[in-house]
Amino acid sequence: MTHARRLALAHFWIGFIAFAIALVLGVWQMWVRSPLPAPFLTASTYFSSVTAHGTAMAYVLTTFTVMGFGYYVAETALARALPAPRWAWTGFWLALAGTLMAVVTIFSGRAAVLFTFYPPLIASVFYYIGLVLVVAGSWIWCVLMIVAMGQWKGANPGRPVPLAMFATVANAVMWLWTTVGVTLELLFQVIPAALGLKAQIDVGLSRTLFSWTLHAVVYFWLIPSYIAFYTMVPQAAGGRLYSDTMGRLTFVLFLIYSLPVGLHHLLMDPHQSNAFKFLQVALTALVSVPTLLTVFTIGASLEIAGRLRGGRGLFGWIGALPWERPLVLATGLAFLMLAFGGFGGLINMSYGMNAMVHNTSWVTAHFHLIFGGTVVIMYFAIAYTLWPSLTGRAAPSLAAQRLQLWLWFIGMLVMTLPWHYLGLLGQWRRVATFNYADPIIAAWGPWVIVSLVGGLILLVSGLLFVRNLLQFAIGRESHVPAEVYATAVHPPLRVPAALNGFRLWNVLVLVLMLLAYGYPLAQFFIIDPPGALVHRVDQRR
Amino acid sequence: MSTDPLDRPWRLWASVAILSVFVFSVLFGFVLLPIIQGRGAGLDAFESICRALGLRPGSPAAPQPASEAKAQPTTRVAWSAELMQALDRPSAIGAQLAAACTACHGKDGRSVDPKLYPDLAGQSAVALYKQLNDFKSGSRLSAVMAPLAQPLSEEQIVAVSAHFAAFPVRSLPPAQMPAPSEAIERLVARGDPTRAIAACNACHGEQSGGPPEAPRLTHQGAQYLSAQLRAFKSGERRNDIYSRMRNVAAVLSDSEIEGLAGFYSTTFTY
Repeated sequence: MTHARRLALAHFWIGFIAFAIALVLGVWQMWVRSPLPAPFLTASTYFSSVTAHGTAMAYVLTTFTVMGFGYYVAETALARALPAPRWAWTGFWLALAGTLMAVVTIFSGRAAVLFTFYPPLIASVFYYIGLVLVVAGSWIWCVLMIVAMGQWKGANPGRPVPLAMFATVANAVMWLWTTVGVTLELLFQVIPAALGLKAQIDVGLSRTLFSWTLHAVVYFWLIPSYIAFYTMVPQAAGGRLYSDTMGRLTFVLFLIYSLPVGLHHLLMDPHQSNAFKFLQVALTALVSVPTLLTVFTIGASLEIAGRLRGGRGLFGWIGALPWERPLVLATGLAFLMLAFGGFGGLINMSYGMNAMVHNTSWVTAHFHLIFGGTVVIMYFAIAYTLWPSLTGRAAPSLAAQRLQLWLWFIGMLVMTLPWHYLGLLGQWRRVATFNYADPIIAAWGPWVIVSLVGGLILLVSGLLFVRNLLQFAIGRESHVPAEVYATAVHPPLRVPAALNGFRLWNVLVLVLMLLAYGYPLAQFFIIDPPGALVHRVDQRR
Repeated sequence: MSTDPLDRPWRLWASVAILSVFVFSVLFGFVLLPIIQGRGAGLDAFESICRALGLRPGSPAAPQPASEAKAQPTTRVAWSAELMQALDRPSAIGAQLAAACTACHGKDGRSVDPKLYPDLAGQSAVALYKQLNDFKSGSRLSAVMAPLAQPLSEEQIVAVSAHFAAFPVRSLPPAQMPAPSEAIERLVARGDPTRAIAACNACHGEQSGGPPEAPRLTHQGAQYLSAQLRAFKSGERRNDIYSRMRNVAAVLSDSEIEGLAGFYSTTFTY
């Protein structure tokens, strides 16, 4: 069983190294945008830095963490050896090679197109090929997860797949669907342009294809956190999972409602019609269902734990929870950030209100709060929870872990709340510097500096996280790994096939995607609009 | 697998639930909402539904306003992929036409007097094309260039632009190159946000993200460059799209104009 452990460790470390580097860049970017004079500033260093930060945080940290966590879950939740570990290592090396290729291209100044590409801007082809390799590595992971579940079901006919694995495969299936959009964009539009084979690019089509990926990719990053909420947190809190079925429904609903909703990222784009935007906004609203299911189920599970620990009264159980345990603490903090971020998200996804915040810092602040906050704090907690069994050593100090989580929470709020406010004041995003001599913009200055202070707190927390993981090397050896998975109040003896596999849901996703994205994509071939001239950022005409 | 009696209702009701939400959204967003919005805008139901679906132009919530724009474009150049490709191919026609240019711009595109006339050798063909077009249309005024450009056809302008772009740039004697001041280097690389000046390099740099027609500035005579900046500053020259250069030049001081012109005239890269 050592294969999956070494795999998981290798994946986590690549993700966390990318995270630490990207964190330093992020703080520098906040500094550049503030009224304080920043070093190394030119427009091209700024946009190269933003590209590196986005690529590392959104593609490298997440993909490697999701893959590493998946390998761990496949081995431990199914209690079976991983199928084809050699393929898993192939995926790892592929993704790592792709990461290095992309990073070298960015730092040589040839890929300042930001991590969402923005055609007709075209970077060096090595940047895109690097990212394709990362995705290809993750596809191997997807197949291995699906095969692992299939083999387990073959060996255990009629028994319900453990929830952690069911959720992991939900994520793998969703990721396969998700990456179709961006892969089509890269293979048929962007890479041919980067190779000089195409002089024009249909930006409407490429933006629509990217929107297909753009919302579901966020759920790909988020699902490990939800897996921890459902399968690990109740155990860490000393309770039980309130409902296994709620968990299965949640992950299925994420699969369905993460995909046919991407047009809500294009609400201000002129090439999509009002009606299809409305449709996808309506479907987006349904994401609230699995979110609220989770808040309720995890709330109930924690209440069980709190009452088992002697909590009384309407709210007494909250105080009785073992907040000194990092996973429980991280969950509480993650939920608070989810509440703030979810509120902001409701505004983003509302067609009318989006017009007020579109292309302002509000949006940047929103995804930092939800992703950098809720998701990443759970990545930390997952690492803290798995590290004892991955390294065979106990954590030398839980206090250092708690301090790190608190610092992350405080830093994230200090950074993102003023950032939201700046967005409402009209501060635009994707801009390196501001004219603070302008009296209106000068009024933003103090809030930008507060944001920067938040960024510095996040940097301290991020470095402390890496230190905490390294500290395991001096921890005492412990060869009895603690049970990490929670038992449900009513452990499922059998579940309907619909909640034990993905065939039905794949069909429904296909139907919804055809209906929601069929015409919005087909129109580009029916109308055949003129393309935009390719604009290379890696060379000059 | 699907023998379990629990399975069939799951298949049925999950599909019904998901599709009925979909149908509700379609009825509301494709039919009901456009009709109500269209009524306020004085549109009939069919028209407003077509607009909502994107089959006809315009918003279902507002009558399509008639355009009364009277503004004239700064320049009449329009870029296309074919034009860009043609500008990459020097031709024999270009070489013949270039004979008319040699008196000032030199046989190989190196100006006979860099103080007055720009070098054409190694300049971007796209930039040359735009300037010739502007001389022809009157967007850029010049008593010398206008009569030369006016008789040229579109193909001839393309050919002569591609011709000069293919020559190597003038070499600079290193002794002529003083170290630029820090303030000027900062303007080139970072601009000055407090005056809304973008970095010169943002458009004129080696890896610029700016408009394709931005010319190379290196190797040009300092006097020629400063004369152009002053012409932008006074508004005498006005063929820059969106007033990009006029806005920048308007807030540059005279010493900055001299400094920048000196910087680019003695710089290899950028």
